[in-house]
Amino acid sequence: MPQVWFTLFARLGLLAAAGLGIGWLYGQPVYGLLCAVSIALGWQLLWLFRLERWLNGEKMDFLPEGEGIWPRLFARIDFLRGRTKRRGKRYKALVKQMRQATRAFPDGGILVSRNHEIYFMNHAAEELLGLKRKKDRGARIENLIRDPDFVAYMQAGTTSKAVQIPSPLNHGRWLSCHLVPYGMDQQLLLVRDVTALVQADKMRRDFVANASHELRTPLTVITGYLDALADDDSLADDLQVPLQEMQLQAARMRTLVNELLRLSELESKGPARQGKAVNIAALMAAAAQEAKAMQNCPHDIRVNIESDADLSGEVADIQSILTNLVSNAVRYTPQDGQISISWSTDDDGGYLVIADTGLGIRKEHLPRLTERFYRVEDGRERIGGAGGTGLGLAIVKHALQRHGAKLAIESTPGKGSSFTCTFPVDRIIAVA
Amino acid sequence: MFTQHISRRFNKDLEELRTQVSNMGGLVERQLAQAIEAIVSGDSDLGLDVARRDFKVNQYEVEIDESCSRILATRAPAAADLRLIVAVIKVITDLERIGDEAQRVGICAARLASEAQPRDRYDELRSLSEHVQDMLHDALDAFSRLDVEDALRVVEEDKYVDQEYEAIYRQCISMMMEDPRTIKRFMDVSWAARALERIGDHAKNICEYVIYLVQGKDVRHTELEDLRNQVEQASKGS
Repeated sequence: MPQVWFTLFARLGLLAAAGLGIGWLYGQPVYGLLCAVSIALGWQLLWLFRLERWLNGEKMDFLPEGEGIWPRLFARIDFLRGRTKRRGKRYKALVKQMRQATRAFPDGGILVSRNHEIYFMNHAAEELLGLKRKKDRGARIENLIRDPDFVAYMQAGTTSKAVQIPSPLNHGRWLSCHLVPYGMDQQLLLVRDVTALVQADKMRRDFVANASHELRTPLTVITGYLDALADDDSLADDLQVPLQEMQLQAARMRTLVNELLRLSELESKGPARQGKAVNIAALMAAAAQEAKAMQNCPHDIRVNIESDADLSGEVADIQSILTNLVSNAVRYTPQDGQISISWSTDDDGGYLVIADTGLGIRKEHLPRLTERFYRVEDGRERIGGAGGTGLGLAIVKHALQRHGAKLAIESTPGKGSSFTCTFPVDRIIAVA
Repeated sequence: MFTQHISRRFNKDLEELRTQVSNMGGLVERQLAQAIEAIVSGDSDLGLDVARRDFKVNQYEVEIDESCSRILATRAPAAADLRLIVAVIKVITDLERIGDEAQRVGICAARLASEAQPRDRYDELRSLSEHVQDMLHDALDAFSRLDVEDALRVVEEDKYVDQEYEAIYRQCISMMMEDPRTIKRFMDVSWAARALERIGDHAKNICEYVIYLVQGKDVRHTELEDLRNQVEQASKGS
């Protein structure tokens, strides 16, 4: 037991004993004790009274000193008060700093509750989205940012991706919004101005489209004259070979330009329209026929149709997916190899698989295969003669994207590759 | 304003209703923006897409109408709540009409895309449409925030839209007189401008419902000067 309490009890005991002793001298020990207790109580009450006044804000010139329990209590409370005050000051400074930091932040930040009610936003958010910091506190964010894509994004609650919306304030500007969950059920909405990015992307697309379009005209003239020259019998024999080579290269360049145009067209178009049934079985048969007409085509091309469901989408896209994948397979498969084209469906969607027993691709190349002009440079020779343009798989990827489909590539070097296109359920038209 | 009911379910219903109207407004805003985009960029597919998507706006109208009837029937709202329901019923009618006008603009865009683009790429039409888009956006914001001041500002904007429409209309007439071969095209342009002008009027109506909703005053068919006075008096009184 601490010293103070011992002293307190000792003093009380002493007082009680003194009261009892004096009372006993006068023959009234009980009254004596009563007196002593009253004095002790009065003393404590006096301290309690001072404490109460002090805590209620009355100034004291100096704190009571001494070893007793009350002076110690005063000292302790004074210490705690001081600490709280210092802490409060520190927190205030910290909050102020944070406020300044969020104000300086170039991106918008909005804290929203689970029901999407706004409870804090920084100045950038106010300016980017045209909100009002004071007035919009507590408002549902969907009531103020009404873009249908944004509303759908907030409702879905997927936080892995950002959504791009036109600025509600400035025509022609674009914002990217990203929802990040934190704490129990709070969310932080990050808003960034991505106009420059969107414009750069558009400029790139426009450039590719324009450039390939402009290249087409001179190319037509060149091929025209080349054809005329080839038909000319009076041409010297030593010019025949260069002429053939020129024709070949001109044809190659035309394919390249056409594919570039096709790619930029695919990129700028939105999702493919629903509802139009594409007879995939017929397209597969046609692709197989086309492949057989190619140079050095393997003799064994199989078409497996395991489902009679149709695909909903655009015929031209599906056709170019098939042609590109099949001609790729032909190009990298020896003549005694095998190519299979299969179509199947289940409850999760439809699967278009083009598999070959060709050269295969090393693992490190797989993720970059669909990039434009990406070439697997490991000395492997193309079996099917002159190669493609390097755009085939990029076209396949974008054509698939328009249909909400995904491309998965599996390959073992030396054994073969398989390209699987997975179409979502809403693109499958089951035959009743 | 609508969050002090003892029944939490009722609060939620009213909040839901407001969000539904906002969602519908968002869709209509986008329809308008895309219809204009279709005209300016000469994209007939986009124009037809807009026209085809109008059914979604109509769907919203029917749904919200149903929600309103249900609340009226089950909650028998009074005072501010009743005004909210009445205002919502009116606002969605105007939104639906704006959707129809956007559809019209979309069809015009599809037709105009097959004609030659003028050298100014419909600059006047774009400027008018940006004005109208801002009006619609501010009107819906005023509805969300229940902000009478903003609503008044939109009402005042309408006269500039009318002036711009007049200018385009006159320009179209003089173009048609100059070269009768362009009549077909400029008829479509003036149709689109007319539709945009009407959208401005509908946005103005929405703002009048906001004033009615907040202050309980019917300010339709009032002169602008009177309107401002009335609103100021009412806000002093409250």
